[in-house]
Amino acid sequence: MMSLLKDPVLLAAALGTSLPFLSMAVILVFTRQNQRLSATISVGSVSVSLLSSLYLLITLYGAGAPVQYEFPWLLADDIVIPFGYLLDPLSLLMLTIVAVISFLVQVYSIGYMSGDPGFSRYYAFQSLFAWAMMSMVIAPSMLQLFIFWELVGLASYLLIGFYYEKWSASQAGKKAFVMTRLGDIGFFLGLIILVLGFGDLSIVRMNEAGQGHQIPQYLITISALLIFGGVMGKSAQFPLLTWLPDAMEGPTPVSALLHSATMVAAGVYMFSRIFPFYSMSPEAMALALAIGTVTMLLSSTMAMATYDLKQVWAYSTVSQLGFMVMGLAAGGYFAGVFHLTTHAGFKALLFLCSGIFIHEYHTNDFRIIGQQGGRKLMIPMVCMTVGALALSGIFPFSGFFSKEAILGVLANHPNKLWLGAGLVGALMTAYYTFRLIFFMLFPRGVAAAHGVHDAKGSGHGHDDHEGEHHGYIFWTMAVPVMILAGISVVLGFSQSSLESFLMGHGSVPAQLAASGGEGHAAAHDGHGIGHYALLIGAVTMALGGIFWAFMEFGRKGATQEGFLRAFPVVERLFAARWYMDAFLRAFLDKVIYSGLTNVFTRNDRRVIDGGIDGICFFTVAGGRLLSFLQSGMLQYNLLVMIVAVGFVVLYFLLA
Amino acid sequence: MQMQYAGFPYLSAILVSCVGGLLAILCIPGERTRTIRMVSAVSSGSTLVLAAYLFVSYDRALGGLQFVERLVWIPQLGIHYFNGADGFNLPNLLLTGIVFFTGVLTMWELQYRVKEFFALYFLMVAGVFGLFMSMDLFFIFVWYDVSLFPMYLLIAVWGTTRKEYGAMKLTLYLLAGSALILPAIVYLFVQSGLNTFDIVALMEPGVFNASDQRLAFLLLYLGFGILAGVWPFHTWSPVGHVAAPHAVSMVHAGVLMKIGAFGVLRVAIFLCPEGWKYWAQLMALLASVGIIYGALVGLRQTDLKYVIGYSSVSHMGIVGLGLSTLTVDGLNGAVFQMFAHGVMTALLFSSVGYIYDRTHTKMIGELGGLSRVMPVASGYFIVAALASMGVPGLASFWGELVVFIAAFRIYPVRGVVAVLALVVSAVFMLRVVQRTFYGPNREEHARLPDVPFFLGVPRMILAAVLLSFGLYPTLLFDMIETASVPFMAGLPK
Repeated sequence: MMSLLKDPVLLAAALGTSLPFLSMAVILVFTRQNQRLSATISVGSVSVSLLSSLYLLITLYGAGAPVQYEFPWLLADDIVIPFGYLLDPLSLLMLTIVAVISFLVQVYSIGYMSGDPGFSRYYAFQSLFAWAMMSMVIAPSMLQLFIFWELVGLASYLLIGFYYEKWSASQAGKKAFVMTRLGDIGFFLGLIILVLGFGDLSIVRMNEAGQGHQIPQYLITISALLIFGGVMGKSAQFPLLTWLPDAMEGPTPVSALLHSATMVAAGVYMFSRIFPFYSMSPEAMALALAIGTVTMLLSSTMAMATYDLKQVWAYSTVSQLGFMVMGLAAGGYFAGVFHLTTHAGFKALLFLCSGIFIHEYHTNDFRIIGQQGGRKLMIPMVCMTVGALALSGIFPFSGFFSKEAILGVLANHPNKLWLGAGLVGALMTAYYTFRLIFFMLFPRGVAAAHGVHDAKGSGHGHDDHEGEHHGYIFWTMAVPVMILAGISVVLGFSQSSLESFLMGHGSVPAQLAASGGEGHAAAHDGHGIGHYALLIGAVTMALGGIFWAFMEFGRKGATQEGFLRAFPVVERLFAARWYMDAFLRAFLDKVIYSGLTNVFTRNDRRVIDGGIDGICFFTVAGGRLLSFLQSGMLQYNLLVMIVAVGFVVLYFLLA
Repeated sequence: MQMQYAGFPYLSAILVSCVGGLLAILCIPGERTRTIRMVSAVSSGSTLVLAAYLFVSYDRALGGLQFVERLVWIPQLGIHYFNGADGFNLPNLLLTGIVFFTGVLTMWELQYRVKEFFALYFLMVAGVFGLFMSMDLFFIFVWYDVSLFPMYLLIAVWGTTRKEYGAMKLTLYLLAGSALILPAIVYLFVQSGLNTFDIVALMEPGVFNASDQRLAFLLLYLGFGILAGVWPFHTWSPVGHVAAPHAVSMVHAGVLMKIGAFGVLRVAIFLCPEGWKYWAQLMALLASVGIIYGALVGLRQTDLKYVIGYSSVSHMGIVGLGLSTLTVDGLNGAVFQMFAHGVMTALLFSSVGYIYDRTHTKMIGELGGLSRVMPVASGYFIVAALASMGVPGLASFWGELVVFIAAFRIYPVRGVVAVLALVVSAVFMLRVVQRTFYGPNREEHARLPDVPFFLGVPRMILAAVLLSFGLYPTLLFDMIETASVPFMAGLPK
């Protein structure tokens, strides 16, 4: 306890990460009835977290070695599970991202969620989310990371299914939990194998030992492949990706949090956390690269066929996560983490802007929002365009720099297929992003009449909260959005300082170099010969995508139909998510429910119970049968006796 | 095993307050239900306080058998009234105290034959307490039967769904179990030649030869295993859970199934370590089949209590898997899981009890949207369901974790199968939560009251226990280790 007070760094780490837990407990137990107080407690605790994470970042910026605290937590014979904090550049950066986004989302939610009957519950779960995510980020051992990883999943389940009276919402929450659980089984098995084979799950020691060839190669490969299962679940990689688009059933600020800094970021974060360990297995890296690529391409096609505002962003998250995994798997440690950082900013921005539109127009369909005059909401419209530009990778927005970094890494990869895929992805991203933007900016077309009608229909409700535009509700939502837009504009320019921070002393790659490891040749981004050609190529792709979208949806007289309309089969394929959900459903129904479960249940009823009941039946029936012998009639007994004696006599005579 | 005699007979005091409560209830006229409830609460509360006191004041540095009480009862047969507390039975005594007390509070609103109900309930729990604390084979057998017989009446009179069938089935199964245990005990008594039922004396190495141990272990494992819901002898347990009144379900799933697992540990494993090694493969197989089987069958159930019943089969499989690993970690995890599962199921049944008393149904299809009308009651069920899925931060996660780590070392394939059950159990628990508590509220349940503070107390206690051992598991592991480490070290190699 004393050491806690003497060491301000430890105090900040402990306070910053555990206050949200207290806040959750207090809200759930005491202040459920008082909405205002609940929000105050939650936002207050997350702002302390924000301050302490900033303090840690500033204090430890440029600190030589990672600062690590470990306290014994679970002691059971030879299983020792410590609890503690690992403060190195990666965790400090991520901690700050999580704290900033959580803080902004919680402030935004004051407006967005106002008047909701579950307001206090919402803030309790938000606090749970912040606590789990921040504790996960600064975990010094993989086991602690896994524990909080599961709690992050729990918090997502609770928040996605927040509107529990809606069937689709509770279904989506369940789906998210179960699908990520499926991946976590792999993660868990990988950790157990590591415990048994290596005996230590400390992240620092794991990375060192991996680099120093102290762990047998086969063990690294097996555990790395299994652990990647966790990344596939949490970061929605193929084939466990369909839970994420469904997860937009939660309140929009939750989507913003989920898609940017917390839930899905956890997977990529974990990957970069043990990157030196992971990079020692070429097989695992190759698999990750392939899966990242497939994920990115598949989800981009899905995003082209939907008219749901949030769903477009959801698919884009999946595809950007695939892109990050590609970057990491190709050896680009900094590139992957950098894209995670910038993506957190602009994706939160996009969702929060969408939230304002949805709050205003009560629909998710961006065609209807456009027709009802969505562009008149200047602040969110401008900010959303900023976010869209960042997502498409247009200079000078943050996405440009990080995408460029990943493409640079891919360009250095011997197989140019991946680079090609990355460029195609960039094209598609720009296309579907601006398809949405143009629908909202230039609404017209056949549906206009319908739109007018809709505008009238909801005009009444609209007038009701006209005053909100200048009230606190609007501003609690608009200010976080503007801050995020600002971040998206400037963040890209911090690339070099971030790079020196992340790649500097005490960082993962520095340890890599110090231990004389291999496989980090590609860790530095491609500032090589083809760099400028690549730069031009990527920008051309992005601009090309925007131009394409403009031709189809933006320009005067555009049909606003899109090229997909010409290929109905393909459009249906994209809209149905390549039938991945249908396949999964069929598998569950056919194999699990009517297969295994049914057989086992029948076995219970018929074979086991049937067998026992059969024994009982024969016992009772046998008793009935034997009871004929006990009839109580003397003559009958006498007869039996004589016959028996006769048999005995016969036996002795013959023997 | 080193022993510390007790200055004050705390263990007997637990029994006395149990039996004293029983006698007091018998003396009170049946119409004075309020007095009966108060007496029940006070005397069950005092067992909880005593058990908690023992748990806290047990000297963990010293270890061994503490608070020992020993009286010769029938010298000719070597039968002793011999009680003691060690790291294996203290968690179970604490668990029994918790479930006992919260069970009484859960039945607070009972109207039908209150006096008889509590009298039988106390008799049953007295048997459970006696079995956990006893170190004498003869007494273990007697307490086992004492805890079983009241169960028949409790289910047949106060039960609900197919109660006669459930009660009869349960009684027959458990009697079949005791029919296997009794010959094994007699056989061991005869073979030892020591003329004693004292477990401490009988567990000395070299008392039994290997083939005796193998035979006796199998009988004891199957006999106690039936009570622990070992697959394929588990079908009595869901049926019994469903038929039983709430508090009896709580004790039944929370504590009685632990008696089975504890019997395997205290009698079979303690006395026949050779047999344990011989049959470990079989134990692991049955346990891992039970884990996945229980979870899959649970997926298809339509009755809330059936779901919990099958989840118990699955979770008790984890206990069995831990016991089968022949390692310290396995024993630690198994005993921890016994405790965690007991608290968790008690919480589940207690919540279902509250819901059933209000809605008069426990069919999942007839419920729905309860979160809106009774958020607190639903919250408790959801907490327990999360514990059942093995979410970290709640006690059962640690038991599962340690058991799985231990199991992987010895049985990697069976371990993978068992871990897969984690997904299935998540699916079926979330399915139940979704269909019962989420979705639109039903008209007929729209005006139901949420839990008033007092009636919520039992679930509050249970949830708090789950959370505190979930956040700081060493509290319990420390205790179990004082028994498991010396026990494994004392085994002949």
